[in-house]
Amino acid sequence: MTSKPNFLKPTNLESPGAVPFWEGLQAGKFLAPRCGQCGELFFPPRSHCPECLGDSLSWEELSGKGFLYSWTELFFAQPEFDTPFFLGLIDLAEGIGRIAARISAKTAEELHIGMSVRIRISKPVDGLALYYAEPSRPES
Amino acid sequence: MSVNRKRAAIIGIGAVKVGRYPEKQESELALQVIRDALKDAQISSRQIDGLFTTPDLQGNIGLQTNLLCEYLRISPRSMAEICCGAIAGGLTLKYAADEIQAGRIKAAVCYGAVREGSIGWFKNLSQGKGWSMIEPTALQPYAAYGIIWAYALSARRYMHETGATEEDFALAAVRNRKNAAGNPVAAFAKPITVEDVLRSRCLSSPIKLLDSAASLDGAAAVIVVSEEAARDLSPHPVYLQGWGLHHDPSCVIPTDNCSTSISHFKATREAAKEAFQKAGIRPEDVDVAEIYAPFSSHELIIPEDIGWFQNGEMARALRRGETDITGRIPINTDGGLTSRGHPWAATPLYETVNIVRQLRGTAGPIQVRGAKVGLMHCEGGMMNNGLVMIFGRD
Ligand SMILES: [Zn+2]
Repeated sequence: MTSKPNFLKPTNLESPGAVPFWEGLQAGKFLAPRCGQCGELFFPPRSHCPECLGDSLSWEELSGKGFLYSWTELFFAQPEFDTPFFLGLIDLAEGIGRIAARISAKTAEELHIGMSVRIRISKPVDGLALYYAEPSRPES
Repeated sequence: MSVNRKRAAIIGIGAVKVGRYPEKQESELALQVIRDALKDAQISSRQIDGLFTTPDLQGNIGLQTNLLCEYLRISPRSMAEICCGAIAGGLTLKYAADEIQAGRIKAAVCYGAVREGSIGWFKNLSQGKGWSMIEPTALQPYAAYGIIWAYALSARRYMHETGATEEDFALAAVRNRKNAAGNPVAAFAKPITVEDVLRSRCLSSPIKLLDSAASLDGAAAVIVVSEEAARDLSPHPVYLQGWGLHHDPSCVIPTDNCSTSISHFKATREAAKEAFQKAGIRPEDVDVAEIYAPFSSHELIIPEDIGWFQNGEMARALRRGETDITGRIPINTDGGLTSRGHPWAATPLYETVNIVRQLRGTAGPIQVRGAKVGLMHCEGGMMNNGLVMIFGRD
């Protein structure tokens, strides 16, 4: 049992463009903003639509499915992390963007570029629940 | 409007040995290399009417030109502290050349002076400085120390796409170290082997300690003048023949879409294409090159993006010695970021200093015989932007 959070507290927890995303995680949902002006669904969340710069956003739940685009095993990190740990770069299945997330694997042999992964939401640490990734179990 | 379309030229260079100078102010390092560059150009500080420098993230933000104007007793008609990630050092040259070609100024000092080794970039990062590059929500919670992890993700993807190995990356680190031994301003001269690199401490796989650039102190300066002035003043002017500049719509790791490559980089490709076009040459015409690779993996990626090799060919080129000092395209003859050392904002100016030495024929043991055309590349973020400059002599 570890007492380390294994993530860094985001610096934009109170930013208007990110609040619904972080709050969504606390409610168990992985959300992305859709622009109320031009309809663009985009990721990562931010305050203004990258297509038309509109700032009227609604929030939609994503599938949480994705594909491993690349990965690294980190041996060198802030004291908030148990090292080493695996970090994956994940293409979201919706095709709208990528996310960097700790990926739960015990050895590098479990990781293959292109493999299916799921975005999961952690139990709250210091009142904050964040995302991580998990290799998908093979379809039976 | 009369605009002087002639080339800008470098007639003076100065650089301190990369290392640690905890006892010195950055301005003291700057004055030292500016003095050396003026002496090398055989001109007086009274003739300087342009001053361009890189950001000082430690303190005097935006006010270095004040300090230097007083210390040098100069009254420039054009000056700027240029901030644009790590291409800033290269941009000082670009804006000095623009102003000279526009006829606004006659002689500019471009310099960069940093004490990253003594003060520490991680300390800055932990205080929130530099965090904007990790602002995107998709990068925040796991952005461990700096951006080594981002380059590691890039390196792993490159391995996946090309079949390159950690041993191939190590070959580039070994080549750099061998070259650094002949560079009087390089930080690291002790020879290393592929085994040493492979056994060095893993930071973020596949990147290990000896694959990485060390953040250190350093300062470098160059004197830029017009083509006419260069012919009058200098026995060996080095001309800026062309440059290319490009920024991709991405911040460190591109997370805004699923289609932007992290194994090869559009910004480098576009900047190189524009530079070759402006200089009227092809990649194979380059005799000696300096590339900005913070990790050995990117010693393979960048030459493929510049156009000397097809994707995935660099591993074989390294084994054949094609990028050695005696090879067909000598790269990082001064040791590169991994062995010359990496005082980040000054790094593009160190690269330029080595290209000038090479084109003058005064590079000593690392001299590329008969070098006439030199290329300098630098980048910012994780290759999100790129600047490529082509230099030549008559
Ligand atoms: Zn929109």
